[in-house]
Amino acid sequence: MPTVLGVFRQPLHLARAAEVLRGRGYTDLEIFSPVPSHEIDHAIDEKPSRVRIFTLIGGLTGVVTGYAMTIWMAYDWPIMLGGKPFASIPPYTIIAFELTILFGGLMTALGLFAVGRLPKIRLHPAYHRRFSAEDFALLVECRERDVSEIDGLLRDHRALEVSVVPS
Amino acid sequence: MTPPPPPNGVASMIRQSPSLPDSPINRDILSVMKGASAGYWLLLLTAVGFVHLAGGIWIYQVYKGLGIAGYAHPVFWGAYIVTFVFWVGIAHAGTLISAILYLFRAKWRNAINRSAEAMTVFAVLTAAQFLGIHVGRIWKSYFILPYPNQRGLWVNFKSPLLWDTFAISTYATISAVFLYIGMIPDLAIARDRATGLRRVLYSALSLGWQGTSREWKSHNRTVLHLSGLATPLVLSVHSVVSWDFAMSIVPGWHATIFGPYFVAGAIFSGFAMVLTMMIPVRRIFGLEAYITDYHFENMSRFLLLTSIIVGYAYCAEYFIAWYSMAEPEQSSFWYRAFGPYWISTWCMIIFNAVLPQLLWFKRLRTNLPFLFGLSVFINIGMWFERYVIIITGLSREYNPAVWGTYTPSWPELGIVAGSFAFFCMLFLIFLKLFPVIAIAEVKEIAIHEKEHPDGSWEHAHVYEEVH
Repeated sequence: MPTVLGVFRQPLHLARAAEVLRGRGYTDLEIFSPVPSHEIDHAIDEKPSRVRIFTLIGGLTGVVTGYAMTIWMAYDWPIMLGGKPFASIPPYTIIAFELTILFGGLMTALGLFAVGRLPKIRLHPAYHRRFSAEDFALLVECRERDVSEIDGLLRDHRALEVSVVPS
Repeated sequence: MTPPPPPNGVASMIRQSPSLPDSPINRDILSVMKGASAGYWLLLLTAVGFVHLAGGIWIYQVYKGLGIAGYAHPVFWGAYIVTFVFWVGIAHAGTLISAILYLFRAKWRNAINRSAEAMTVFAVLTAAQFLGIHVGRIWKSYFILPYPNQRGLWVNFKSPLLWDTFAISTYATISAVFLYIGMIPDLAIARDRATGLRRVLYSALSLGWQGTSREWKSHNRTVLHLSGLATPLVLSVHSVVSWDFAMSIVPGWHATIFGPYFVAGAIFSGFAMVLTMMIPVRRIFGLEAYITDYHFENMSRFLLLTSIIVGYAYCAEYFIAWYSMAEPEQSSFWYRAFGPYWISTWCMIIFNAVLPQLLWFKRLRTNLPFLFGLSVFINIGMWFERYVIIITGLSREYNPAVWGTYTPSWPELGIVAGSFAFFCMLFLIFLKLFPVIAIAEVKEIAIHEKEHPDGSWEHAHVYEEVH
């Protein structure tokens, strides 16, 4: 399976090229971009990122842990004060709040690694430092016989260079 | 004669192609990290020297005990707690800039968010040490954590000090995560341009970031969610710190205004510290194209706004003391302004509430030497604010039999001075190791402006939503 690499100067051009390619059935697309771009995100994959699930799970775990820990500890080492209940919910809310943020934040970071597939041990063979400068790369995975069509399409959409990355 | 085919496919072909000019944004910002002048080393060595000096004083304090601090019954919260609150306050600007201004889509934050986030982490690290220094018996400071022990005993979660422990440790963790996650794309930029040991370091830290759509998409989402979590966090942390005082019944402490009063003061002092650090950095490293007068003017406006809130809080405290007809409260505030601590009180009022009113003038908002001087005065004023609140509150409580007058001793002042050196040391090291401006974010704006020369960034988004 050859991979065709198109280099673009402007994210809008890349996004249009990606949209056209997806329209033609080439769905195995990858990009290297120096900046985040909504246009590209929409063109490649319009589904919202799943990081949100991680945040939710982390936050809920945090709030439950916060209340459970404080209430359990209050009963495990009871401090008798004027016949009041051992567990005092208002101050424990502060602990629950802080742990919601703590667990939610850490799980969000974990979500970045899981959903964004980081860390990567090896960089892609087509990756180049120009893609952390100002150039944008569009990689199209395709069959041998489609290479010339993709080459034409990329050039039509103002790709500066098109080349084939051997697998 | 034809050249031999490249051994490693197209990637090596690109590498051998005539060297492409690097992005000027990368070049300018990464140049801050390159080399180090004699002046830099001198500054760094001075800072390291003072940190060691303070460390020595601290060891002396551990050896002799807290008796060498200037504590005078009933004032047992002194310069250490003052400095702890001061540094926690400094930390607040970073999260405000990176989280709250992010949610409000204030684009101008891009030039200063990285340095402010770094200052947040360093300030929290500095502050956290004071908890250990203040307890004196450092080897028992872990008692504050809920850990299983053979006495079957747990910490008391009804105590504000416990809330503080959780707030500060959460804040330290989340701000460090925020700083690091935001920096990953920039670390990849540094990786692609570094050699030797630095390349190894940045390769490890950038986690193989290549800017794929999957990476950017989850990165955007992560930053958004972290901002959403950090926004209530930043408001809660200094509120919780204020409850260390407000939950007690000490006159001058027991006030419901303390939450917003402390948060506004924290943001005020944090912005002042960002100005104190970034005005010289911009000048020395020639970053005028990135951190412009516009950024400084916006920060000045924040200073002005928070100064007015702080000034209002000062007035409200005095008003309520008078209006409450509570004699201990009234005499406490009289003592504040006209007692032995009058210098601190008037420093606090003049530096924090009066002097910043000059920022109403646009000419002064863009005058950097003036801003630098003002920010230093604000830092001093905000240290005095905490000093006034903590010391005057404790030294005159209800019973005249237990009144006392506290003056910081030389070991305390030495350790406090060392904390400034510690903060400067971390920031100086940061300058040479990590990009001080968020390169990818600045570049995002630059590329967008190139694509939409009519200057409508928002317009592009609207267009996108419609489609």
